Amino acid sequence: MRHRLLLPVLVGALLLTSPVRAVDAGPPGASSCTGCHAAKRIPDSVIPRIAGRKASDIVQFMREYRSGAWPSSVMGRIAKGFDDQQIDAIAAWFAAQPE
Amino acid sequence: MATRRTFLKLTAAASLAAPSIASAQASGRVVVVGGGFGGATAARTLKALEPKLTVTLVEPNPVFTACPFSNNVLAALREISQQQFGYDGVQKTGVLLAQTAATAVDASGKTVTLGDGSKLPYDRLVLSPGIDINWGALPGYDEAAAEKMPHAWKAGAQTVLLRQQLQAMDDGGLVVISSPANPFRCPPGPYERASLIAYWLKIWKPKSKLLILDSKDTFSKQRLFQNAWAQLYPGLIEWVSLSQGGKVTAVDPASLTVVTDFARHKAAVANIIPPQKAGTIAQKAGVADRTGWCPVEPVAFESTLQPAIHVLGDSAIMGGMPKSAFAANAQAKVCAAAIVELLAGRKPVDPILINTCYSLVSPDYGISVAGVYRPDKGVLADIPGAGGTSPLEVVGGFRGQEALYASSWFKTITTEVFG
Repeated sequence: MRHRLLLPVLVGALLLTSPVRAVDAGPPGASSCTGCHAAKRIPDSVIPRIAGRKASDIVQFMREYRSGAWPSSVMGRIAKGFDDQQIDAIAAWFAAQPE
Repeated sequence: MATRRTFLKLTAAASLAAPSIASAQASGRVVVVGGGFGGATAARTLKALEPKLTVTLVEPNPVFTACPFSNNVLAALREISQQQFGYDGVQKTGVLLAQTAATAVDASGKTVTLGDGSKLPYDRLVLSPGIDINWGALPGYDEAAAEKMPHAWKAGAQTVLLRQQLQAMDDGGLVVISSPANPFRCPPGPYERASLIAYWLKIWKPKSKLLILDSKDTFSKQRLFQNAWAQLYPGLIEWVSLSQGGKVTAVDPASLTVVTDFARHKAAVANIIPPQKAGTIAQKAGVADRTGWCPVEPVAFESTLQPAIHVLGDSAIMGGMPKSAFAANAQAKVCAAAIVELLAGRKPVDPILINTCYSLVSPDYGISVAGVYRPDKGVLADIPGAGGTSPLEVVGGFRGQEALYASSWFKTITTEVFG
């Protein structure tokens, strides 16, 4: 009986401190970026990590890729699909991810 | 010890009780059929976004064999084992694995029938079965013919067979590749395959020739491929377009003959990439239309033919997006996020998706095509001004850099999906 009364309280506590924390899906476009710029560390990859980078750095790169001011292979072609607001949102989301 | 054991018991109890307590958040049962780049990504993303969901991945094969980079296996640049990935990593994320085939779908009763006859109920179903060969679409080409004239368009035993045939071929033999009409899995794939086989022939069987018989007049990254062939493999590869009579109308496996309206080509090795359709379970679920592929809406990729069934990857009609592993992975992440929203009673926001496909013309010569897509008038449409192929004229190590990006991408995506 005692056990049955106690359980809901404990369950509530466990939910609040649950080690399995849901991640958020990010703004439109962000999840596609992780096809190359992974959440995990990839040994021997020449593709740079962007998780945990400063948002202002990501924004600057994307704008320079888009304008062609910074040369690239594929990123210029991809950056042209995003406006300033979308880039800002994606940059803020990546900046908040674990480095 | 006793304390720890008690804690573990309670944790288990808590996770069982959780769905009824957290009524404001998404809960429910999602079944995902097909453990490739689309399905495995969808399953683990659903679990990551909403740990309280019960997510079951239905996949009969204990090991997945990846198609991207399988052309390198043909050219002896990789082994097939380097293309293979198990599902331990997916299971560690909390996804339940049902290692069996899905044999039927009851769309109104919302259940999937498994190989042992049991029924798995779902609130939302994700179908990502990839392609099946459209047997019967090409006269003479059936499952027995594929043992003589491999398609190698599903990586695995077929890939190994084609490689063995190439290695057994006498120098001076004719390799024929038959390339299908659109749409089909991996639009640049036949031409990457021709390139890497040519790379290998040039070294090991230099008197040999490669003939591509095509049911199309144009193909993905065409000028980049053709420029590179002229530079790297002059005189080795011949491409015959549809209007030049390239469409293969029949095959004769006994004599390794590939037939067009204008000629009969006797091959030493014949690689028949046949017409394709959505995986069989999509037909059984009633989500494929008369084209053989699956129409979906462009936000959550829910079937336009059956409610609560989402279709991803190669089997779906995704507007401007090609049938690629990158696209399937991107679609799966968008679909998973949308399903979490739908189960919580919210409306998913319009997504943006990216596709990037690398092809190798030689081990250190890479080319790419990219696109950015958003929902527009009911389909996933290219965002104007974005995307396109690698430039035709480049300086320095551009092609080598793209070859490095290609292999880095493969490591990344396979680690993200199966690691």
